[in-house]
Formats: sequence, C-alpha cells, structure tokens
Amino acid sequence: MYRTAALARRLLSGATAGNNSNSRIRYLNHRTTVIGSRYCTAVNNNHSFPQSIFNQNQTPRANLEFPNQSESTSSSNWSTSSTAEDGRQRQERQRPRIEYQEQQARVLEASLHHVLRLGWSEEAMIAGARDVGVSPSIVGSFPRKEAALVEFFMDECLQKLIDRIDSGEELQNLVPSERISKLLKIRLEMQSPYISKWPQVLSIQAYPSNAPTSFKQRAMLVDEIWHAVGDEGSDIDWYVKRTVLGGIYSTTEIYMLTDSSPDFRDTWAFLDDRVKDAFDLKKTIQEAMYMAEAVGAGMGNSFQGFVRRVFQR
Amino acid sequence: MALKLVSRKLGSKFLPMLSSTSPLHSHATSFGFKHVREEEKSQMVGNVFSSVASNYDLMNDLMSGGLHRLWKDRLVSMLNPFPGMKHLDVAGGTGDVAFKILDGISSIKRRANQDPINDHLQEETQIHVCDINPNMLNVGRKRAIERGLGEDKSLIWVEGDAEALSFEDNTMDGYTIAFGIRNVTHIEKVLAEAYRVLKHGGRFLCLELSHVEVPVFKELYDYYSFSVIPAVGELVAGDRDSYQYLVESIRRFPPQEKFASMIADAGFQKVEYENLVGGVVAIHSGLKI
Repeated sequence: MYRTAALARRLLSGATAGNNSNSRIRYLNHRTTVIGSRYCTAVNNNHSFPQSIFNQNQTPRANLEFPNQSESTSSSNWSTSSTAEDGRQRQERQRPRIEYQEQQARVLEASLHHVLRLGWSEEAMIAGARDVGVSPSIVGSFPRKEAALVEFFMDECLQKLIDRIDSGEELQNLVPSERISKLLKIRLEMQSPYISKWPQVLSIQAYPSNAPTSFKQRAMLVDEIWHAVGDEGSDIDWYVKRTVLGGIYSTTEIYMLTDSSPDFRDTWAFLDDRVKDAFDLKKTIQEAMYMAEAVGAGMGNSFQGFVRRVFQR
Repeated sequence: MALKLVSRKLGSKFLPMLSSTSPLHSHATSFGFKHVREEEKSQMVGNVFSSVASNYDLMNDLMSGGLHRLWKDRLVSMLNPFPGMKHLDVAGGTGDVAFKILDGISSIKRRANQDPINDHLQEETQIHVCDINPNMLNVGRKRAIERGLGEDKSLIWVEGDAEALSFEDNTMDGYTIAFGIRNVTHIEKVLAEAYRVLKHGGRFLCLELSHVEVPVFKELYDYYSFSVIPAVGELVAGDRDSYQYLVESIRRFPPQEKFASMIADAGFQKVEYENLVGGVVAIHSGLKI
C-alpha cells in the first residue's frame, strides 16, 4: 500500500516536472501530500483530540491525488453527521483545508533550522513560525508539539532515502550486505548534523504517546531498505530480517551518539561489522540446519538399522 | 443504543421544553428559555452579570466544585502561550484566563533561558481583556492589583462588545472566550469578528458549558442544574433568576457538533473540540490560515 502511494506521488511529481512555470506552487502541494497524509504520522496524528471532526486524514489526499474522486470522499465523510446541504457547504471548504497542513509543514521545515540552537522544542517551532511569517500560535495546533517536529524530520529523511534509492546508480554493483550498510549509512548521515541534539529525539520518540508512531516510522525505513536490496520474500524470514535490520539500525544510531572520530569513521566501521555479523549468522544458522538434517538422517538410519536387527532376531 | 433512546425519552418527559428547538436567526432571540427581542437580550444579560459580578468567583467555585479552574488551565495549555504574544480574551472580565496566560508565558520564559531572542519579546506581550460589562472588568482590575499585577503593562483592560471589536484586522495571535459566547446575541457575528482580528496562524479557543449525552450522568446533571444551582444562587448570591438564566442558557447553546460547524463556517480550519467531564464543558478550537 505504501509502495502504491509512493508511485502515485511520483507520477504526480512527474507531471510537475513537465510544467516548470508553476512548479514551485505544485511542489508545495506535493509536499503536503508527503507529510500530511502518506504516512499519516507527522502532522495529523490526533491522539489527544478524539473528536477531531473536520480533519479526516484521508480527505486532503484524496483531493490531491484523485481530484475526480473528491466529491464522493467528502460526501461520505459527511453523510454521517450532516445533511446534504451542509455537505455542500463543507465541500466549498475542502480546498482551503489542505492549506493548514501546508502551513504546518512550512513551519516545521523552518523550525529545523533552529533545532541546533534550541533543541527539538517548542521554542524552535515558535522561532520557525516567526521565520515563515505565521503567528507562533500555530504551534498550539500540533497536538504533540515537538514530537510533530521529530516525526516530520523522520518522514523527510525517509523520503530523501527513497529518492536516493530510486535514482539508483550508487547501489548497482553492490552485493546485498554492502547495499544494506550503504543504505543505513546514507540514512544515518542525514541525522549527523543534529547529532548533538539527537539524544533528545530518542527520548521524545520513546515517550509512550509517541512510541507507536516512531516504531512505525522505523518499520517503514527497514522495510524500504529491504525492498531496495531486492528482497521480496514473505515467509517467516520476513520478520527475522526486519527485526535484525532494525536492531542494527538502532544500535548504530546509539553508537553514533558517542562517536567523536572524524566523519563518524568508527560508526561506519561498526555498522559494516554488524551487517557482516548478521550475514555470518545467517550462514551459521543455515549450516547448523544442514548439519542437523544430516545428523537427523544419520540417526534415523542407524536407529532403523538397530530396530531391524532387533526384530530380525 | 437502546439505552440512549430510553434516556432521550426520559429526558424529553423530564424536561419537555429542552427538546424544542428554535432557529438561531430569529428576530426573537432567546434569553434562557424565554423568547425576547434581540435588543433586549444584551441588556438582560448585562443585568445578570452586573448583579452577579461581586459573587462571581465564589459562585463559580461552588457550582463547579472548583473544577472551573482546571478547565481554564486546560484551555490555556491548549492555547500554548508564548512570549511576545498578542492575545485577546473576550468576556474575561474577571481576568481568570488572562492571569493564567501571563503565568504560562513567564514560565516559558524561565524555560527558554537559552534563547536570547526571547528576552525583549517578553516586554511585547499584550493580553487584552475585553468585556462588555464594566462591573466585571472592575472585579478583574481589583484582582490584578491583589496579585501584584496592577502595574503590569501587558494586561490591558478594554470595555467592548464581542460582536463589534475595536481591534484592527490581523493583529492577534490568540483569541479565547471562556463562558461567554453563550451570552451573546449573534454567535456568528462573534465568530466573524474573532476571525477578523486574528493573524494568520492565530488560534480561536472557546471554553463553554455544553451538552452532556452520557445517559445516566445526563439525568443527574439536569437535576443538578435545574434544582440545585438556582437554589444555591438564591442562598449565596441572593439572586435566583440570574442562575436560572445560567442553566437555561446552557441548554439553549448549540451542541458541540453544531457549534463546531459554525466555527468552520466562520472560516476557521482544523476545527476540533474536546469534551471535559462528559460534555459539561467543551473546548472548541480553530486555526486561521
């Protein structure tokens, strides 16, 4: 499902590329889709507002990506709580509703410039809002404040990673284990500018109210990497692979926090070793399985032989 | 579902007048359950608040069991005040919300020591307290002096009508109205004015007594409203009618969903509401883009 959404988006951006004159505006819209609805994590997660009634997450996306379907989407959203006439009024407000997510995304993006100075905090978001000329009051409209900023950054990094994967040339001649460490390195390098404030991110993500989203974001990242490596399997191995890769990513991320070597050289060495370990482990397990099979077969034979001898007598 | 139906039936037997709905745009508007002419309503509301001003806080504490402080705290925490904010608190004559916002800003200031940019912004904070009733404003001014805020330049007391604010367009970062919008004659006008004065990115927040739909609790709440509150009002404030009006006006106020759609119609986005104590009060919020 996630892949499909990505494809639709790519088509959308493809259309944009052909039309340079208003590509700037389109670009903004396009970004809104990315942040607001694709993962439904960064801006829209209304944990503390159970009755968020006018902001069904799916609506803006439907409007953007499938303009001809917007009518049916919005009326189905409204059929439960309003008359047809009301629905039409709401319809008129469909378009501007996308705007607030756009504004929120602009604020979050501007806030990232202040993170090094002020941390992943409300202050950074307030400063960001001032930069884009929006009242800092808008910060109050993010239900989980700084978590929104962190999640926005994570989503953006994932998007960049996907773009790098799709451009493709770096990964062509690599074996799977090298590909994995290369991709993890690309992803971890994106957060290296913020390394001094990264412990704060980890603590924000570990908050009970934020944990589900951050877990989901990590799962998506790991999934994306396995796809890039060309793994399409769906057996029990699927879980093992993702767990192992998630483990490698998280340990390397933590290793990076205390790494003071130039350009994080130690971190990348550590990462390569862990990936190698994992592939070795896979081999070891396979060998152990072959061995067990062989032993089992051998045991079976001798046992059969033994029984036969007993009964022959 | 069945429970809900039953309770609704009981409710309509218990309080037959509650189920009668009247359109909001009639020339005869409502004063509690009474129908009065539009011009009369504001005057009658004015009389109510003039007569309760002195006992207002005591009565609020008694009626809500002190909960109104927590509700206002929640309102301010949802507003997320920041240094340098220009805020308008409408119908906040006694200054409750304004004081809480000021407290919130100064605590942020303490936390934000590392940002030198914020220091001069602290001076620019302005909280306008607007109330149509001078008696209520006087109560607020007195309390500001008691709190040592008498000289504080960031508190500005303004006598004004929520339906025709005296502020320029796009000047406010925040707009709050706590227990006030129920008493105005034209809710739409108030919302339009709020939208007008707010900056882009500014937020509208409304704390208001609202409708309880939880079955058994609803019956209890109705009994409490119609039997206990007027009696307490008579006993403590010596004014039964004002408190009778209070509980009636709550029932007259549009329910959460309806009010939310009115806010959206005024142009606000990201309209949300949160029920507190099962809907005894609701906080509605909207964002101007």
